Amino acid sequence: MNADAPVLRGVGLGKTYGNLAALADADFTVRPGEVRALIGSNGAGKSTLIKILTGAVLPTRGTVEIEGQAAPLGDPLGMIRRGVACIYQHSNLAPAMSVLDNIYLGRQPTRALGIVDTGRQRREALDLLARHDIDIDLDRPVGSLPTVKQKEVEILKALALDARVILMDEPTGWLAAADVARLHATVRALKARGVGIVYISHVLDEIFAVCDTVTIMRDGRIVAESDVAAIDRPTVVRLMVGDKLAGEASGAALQQRHPRGTGVVRMSARDLGKRGVFGGVSFDLHAGEIFCLTGLIGSKRTELVRTLFGSDRFDTGTLEIDGRPADIRSPQSGMAHGIGFVPEDRHREGLMLDMNVTENLAMATLDRHRRGPLLSRGSMARAGRQAIDELSVRPPDGGKLVRLLSGGNQQKVLVGKWLGRNPRILILDEPTVGVDVGAKAEIYAILRRARGEGAAILVVSSDLEEVMTVADRIGVMVSGRLVATHDAGAVTQEQIVREIGGGTA
Amino acid sequence: MNVAGMLRRDGIAQHLAPNALAIALAIIVVVFAVSEPAFLTSGNLIGIVRQVAIIGIMATCMTFVIMTGGVDLSVGPVLALSGLASYFALQAGMPLPVVILAGLAVGALVGLVNGLIVAFLQLPPIIVTLAMLSIVRGTALIVGGPEQHLIRNEPAYSFIGTGTLMGLPFSIYIFAAVALLMILVQRRTPLGLLVAAIGDNERAAYLSGHRIRLTKTLVYVICGAGAALAGIIQSSQVHTALATYGPFGTELDVIAAVVLGGTSIMGGNGSVARTLLGVFFLGVVNNGMNILNVPIDIQLIAKGAIIVVALALAARRA
Repeated sequence: MNADAPVLRGVGLGKTYGNLAALADADFTVRPGEVRALIGSNGAGKSTLIKILTGAVLPTRGTVEIEGQAAPLGDPLGMIRRGVACIYQHSNLAPAMSVLDNIYLGRQPTRALGIVDTGRQRREALDLLARHDIDIDLDRPVGSLPTVKQKEVEILKALALDARVILMDEPTGWLAAADVARLHATVRALKARGVGIVYISHVLDEIFAVCDTVTIMRDGRIVAESDVAAIDRPTVVRLMVGDKLAGEASGAALQQRHPRGTGVVRMSARDLGKRGVFGGVSFDLHAGEIFCLTGLIGSKRTELVRTLFGSDRFDTGTLEIDGRPADIRSPQSGMAHGIGFVPEDRHREGLMLDMNVTENLAMATLDRHRRGPLLSRGSMARAGRQAIDELSVRPPDGGKLVRLLSGGNQQKVLVGKWLGRNPRILILDEPTVGVDVGAKAEIYAILRRARGEGAAILVVSSDLEEVMTVADRIGVMVSGRLVATHDAGAVTQEQIVREIGGGTA
Repeated sequence: MNVAGMLRRDGIAQHLAPNALAIALAIIVVVFAVSEPAFLTSGNLIGIVRQVAIIGIMATCMTFVIMTGGVDLSVGPVLALSGLASYFALQAGMPLPVVILAGLAVGALVGLVNGLIVAFLQLPPIIVTLAMLSIVRGTALIVGGPEQHLIRNEPAYSFIGTGTLMGLPFSIYIFAAVALLMILVQRRTPLGLLVAAIGDNERAAYLSGHRIRLTKTLVYVICGAGAALAGIIQSSQVHTALATYGPFGTELDVIAAVVLGGTSIMGGNGSVARTLLGVFFLGVVNNGMNILNVPIDIQLIAKGAIIVVALALAARRA
């Protein structure tokens, strides 16, 4: 296989946004008939790489070759014409239209006067089905098909375009186990016909089941490439989450560790469950400690912490705050219990990008700036200045639109918005995704300061280096279960890695 | 959708118009003043403000709805129905405050229904309020029938639309009071900030512990009450209540004023004060063309073209 020339090749690809390198110096090849896994945590640079390969993003440096020919950069149509297709996690099909129409959408074969040549279209489609051994009713509306069949329609659509490389972005994200096997059979059939496949997934089992080679990314770089047969699971996880913890750094972190904080239990969860999502989750969160929940993406940590804050509900189990049962039905009631919540996606869930820093900082504390029926802009501005100072938001300008700040400074604003309430419990979901190294360190310092003031802090993080740096205690989630909790000082990174990777479904 | 997303991402809305529209307004004032000296007389200028008071009240009260990413198409029939409600209250011999409250209550009630459906059933505002437009018009026709209801011998009520105070029409004072109140609410109350926050990022506002549904409902109530107040002024001005007042196109004039003022139709940042600029811009264009004896058909075409050109210029400037 390695004798074949690569069908798709990226050389020295890089992309920077402002001063943040989303991708640096990436060399990437796919050969005909190769299924290459592409894995990495959120913010590792996978999606940037994929977007460059599909032409959706223009790289700041590097080149892309298709079958040895230089391909135009930043030209989605050009890439499709040259045989690079992408199947996105979320469907790009027109649900009300038939399978046949979807396959040929936008490029139906026509007769004179632009009339669609339906006969030819159907003949070609049937030929395609036969060649690739796919069985599907061409006249069914796509929306009435099960999800796995819809994926097949997307694959057919790519094949009808003569795709020589298909990029699959978490293709099994919405599939049941039996359907995953079906999809994998299709992937193997494509492979046998010499199509190159890039398979992006967070599920290690799938990678070991269907992929030949694996490319592992972290912090915008490709950190390893290997044959799947020559690598084991813990190594994959270790490469993915990073193992750069220097001896002194972990020593410093150890000194600062306060497992169980002041010893006072702030939040106590017993047997929490949500049907089909997570179950049997029990833990105590103490005042003055940082408790990190780690695990692979898809291990349902986000879903769990949302129910603690009240933006979602759990179905079973009990939650106590300060020893009293807490019935948290909404963000308002979560906040009334002293909980603050920094969501994972700061752009979609956290910030008002077209509003300024002061307004964003005040968003969770409007009640404190109320003077009778009026809102005191002066009080907001004072609180804003103080927060900007404490968090070292740069530039230190409360009137600046949040959109114009760097990712790290946006994140500081988002954290600051909740610190302004002096939360007794602060939950942060992936607090440093897409944040540069300097701002990461500042955010850790901010968390330690809040911990020192007695807050109970729960951090969801996929970045093991981050977990080993800030955690006082570590919980490991696998497939919706909290499988282990450790004092951070009494556990090795290797053990956490084994637990994270073990038994994923 | 893509274009709309792009417009929003680039934050054109908040850069739009504060200067561009003011400059455009100044230019057309100069143009009209030069071409027709009668334009710049105090009588004509007061006339313009009086003419725009009705659309202006509706536009200032609609601004919040559009800032939350919604729209209210039902303001025209609400104007008619509230006029009829006030008329019947007058007929029943109610005292003036009750008459006015009756009119306002009709509008607030329609707004409440709009708001509850939009906020709690989460149906698209454009469809909900379009349906409401039809329902309220039908209701007005049932209540009022086809005939004109003349309002005679009601000096107190007639004063609202026709009286003068210190040399200025009384309706101008009402317009000014509503505009100042709405500017105050926008800039100096939690509601004003929350409305912009919802339009910018509803999910983030929800996760910041705000009562999104309540706020959304409230902005439709305000909008409905504003349309009702406009209806009271109108019926008072022409001494008549009629079921077909506020014809098709009324809502478009109102929306045009808000959008010209730089509030994005996609929601987010906006400004009541700049909506006023939009109101005056449209008012001056109308008035100037009347004075210049531009035929009505050409006026309509010119007005549409001016709106598009003004928006395009403002967008380019940003």
